[in-house]
Amino acid sequence: MKPYLLFPYKARFVGLALIAAHVPVRAIWEAINPDIDQSHRLPVNPGDSLLFTNSHLFFIASTVLVLSGLFLIAFSKEKVEDEQISKLRLDCLQWAIYLNYFLLTLSVIFTNGINFTDVLRLNLWVPLLFFIIRFRWVIYWLGRPVNQENL
Amino acid sequence: MKNTLRVQRAIKNITQADLADAIGVSRQTINTIESNKYVPSTVLALKIARVFGKPVEEIFTLDDED
Repeated sequence: MKPYLLFPYKARFVGLALIAAHVPVRAIWEAINPDIDQSHRLPVNPGDSLLFTNSHLFFIASTVLVLSGLFLIAFSKEKVEDEQISKLRLDCLQWAIYLNYFLLTLSVIFTNGINFTDVLRLNLWVPLLFFIIRFRWVIYWLGRPVNQENL
Repeated sequence: MKNTLRVQRAIKNITQADLADAIGVSRQTINTIESNKYVPSTVLALKIARVFGKPVEEIFTLDDED
């Protein structure tokens, strides 16, 4: 992945802060509105109007906040962004896309109707989360021998 | 691909960190090259050769499987 397409190294901490800030806000909102899970579903019938209510707007804001946070964590540069890191990044991105489309294919086969929106939501998070977890794990795994040898 | 990076470093008496700084990569990358987990690009191989003042072929050689 080209380094100029990545965010600066410190953007990762902004991403972490966004996600950390989201947690208490979401918790308070859920305490005030226990039915939040139902509030952001797409209308089933054309006449229904569940879009752009207060709860729906909050859902949009909180989702965009967490997505932005995850995006910054996933696509910010490492301290030393060299060619090996670029290769690992692409490798992990490939795995994330494979997993995403595997789940998407399963969802096409086994779901229909309203469940499909849940599947779409799942696919919103899976590629980014899987990419971040795998990328961090691979970097940790590669870094271990260096720390042990202490050269 | 095999390499003699560890030997070359010992001759020149530099650490992985010194070499990494000289060519602008992480120490982790030097370590994975030395342990044959990562094959560097041509550009990186040439940069490494320049640090040691030797031809690339003296540091990197093809393996039987290549």
